[in-house]
Amino acid sequence: MNAPSGSHVRGDCSLAERLRARLAPSTRASVIVVDVDPTPTPVGDLDDAAIERLWERPMQSVIGALQEAHRGGRDRIVVVVPTLGQSGGASYAAQSALAEAARVLVKSAARQWSDRSVNAVVLEPGEWGIDSSVSGPVSIAPRARSGAVDPVPLIEWLSGSGAADVTGQTIVCDGGQWM
Amino acid sequence: MTADSRLADRVVIVTGAGQGVGEGIARRLAEAGAVVVIAARRAVTGEPVAESIRATGGRAVCIETDVADTSSVAGCVAETTKRFGRLDVMVHNAFNGGIPHRLEDAVIDKHWTSMSRTAAWASLTCARLSEPHLAESSRRGAGGRLILVTSPSGVEGSANIPLYSPAKAAQRAIAKSLAREWGPLGITVNCIAPVAGSPALMTAFDRNPSLKSAIEARTPLGRVGDITDDIGSVALFLASDDSSYVTGQTVVCDGGSFLGL
Repeated sequence: MNAPSGSHVRGDCSLAERLRARLAPSTRASVIVVDVDPTPTPVGDLDDAAIERLWERPMQSVIGALQEAHRGGRDRIVVVVPTLGQSGGASYAAQSALAEAARVLVKSAARQWSDRSVNAVVLEPGEWGIDSSVSGPVSIAPRARSGAVDPVPLIEWLSGSGAADVTGQTIVCDGGQWM
Repeated sequence: MTADSRLADRVVIVTGAGQGVGEGIARRLAEAGAVVVIAARRAVTGEPVAESIRATGGRAVCIETDVADTSSVAGCVAETTKRFGRLDVMVHNAFNGGIPHRLEDAVIDKHWTSMSRTAAWASLTCARLSEPHLAESSRRGAGGRLILVTSPSGVEGSANIPLYSPAKAAQRAIAKSLAREWGPLGITVNCIAPVAGSPALMTAFDRNPSLKSAIEARTPLGRVGDITDDIGSVALFLASDDSSYVTGQTVVCDGGSFLGL
């Protein structure tokens, strides 16, 4: 497969904007930032309209984005989700479902598209946007390292030859919060 | 019936209990004294299960329920609480879909919608509609349990049915989130991820006999699980007071073939 070069970032949130601005033009991965609505929504408020908005539409967008990346000939795909899917969060049932479904969809893609030499990886740069005062602590221990998280170098590494054998994995780069 | 009375007089809804894993769960919970609502999409499958439970001294009724239809789930919950005065355990097992496909060619309406509606969407709906009753059950000291039936594929992904895995993965995240949200109410939320002799798997074995031997060969316990003795018993543990300090977890019941959790 002759993979196109030039990073391609999908997503409407501020993290997607930052990645669009900072990723080097030579980055060959297609980056899909899953737009998880950060608004706490208790399960009692999850009527059909809310489920459609918080789960169904964004999940269909993720499926479409993966298909588009495949059609575009991208042989490296990085899907960015919050750790919320793995940790769960009070008042975030629908959004955590979205994050975890996107994460496991990447495993399916990695398994199936290995016959097309496509690598698909999940990147979890923490819980961006999620209200932890509502969702609850991500883990029982405090974060191991303080300071801002920068996923850009990791995405660029995942786009390179050094990551040729890395596929189907979830890489958490949150300073050691979720282990 | 056995002498097990761990769920004596507790009222349980089991969706998709007209066959397979749901039927096995319903039978085992009934054996432990529960009043079981067989929430089946079609009475033609659900009613015989209810009848056979009654024939062995258990208590069960069938209420036709389509989990892809929110109003149908609401009707089931309303009729259950009207007839029996309470709801202590909600088991969401029903699922529809799973056509093998290539991810790049998948069509939302054909390959995704039914799985999304019956897995993630219905889990959220069952949770929302049962919440006040489960909370009341917890206040009475009778538990308050939500059990979601997911799949090992919801953890490890699938090359054969790639969109099946995320639909099932969503349920695990929902269980974790609701475990946090409902913890203060005393309601526990857990998942079961079974590999068992469901009708679908048995049909697959009939079509492809080598599949059965392949599954047995990769399974440390060397056999496919029984829907009642192997899977229903785990559901009974999670539905009973025995599991009162267990929440947000996924119990993989597959004979040890998946060890990566």
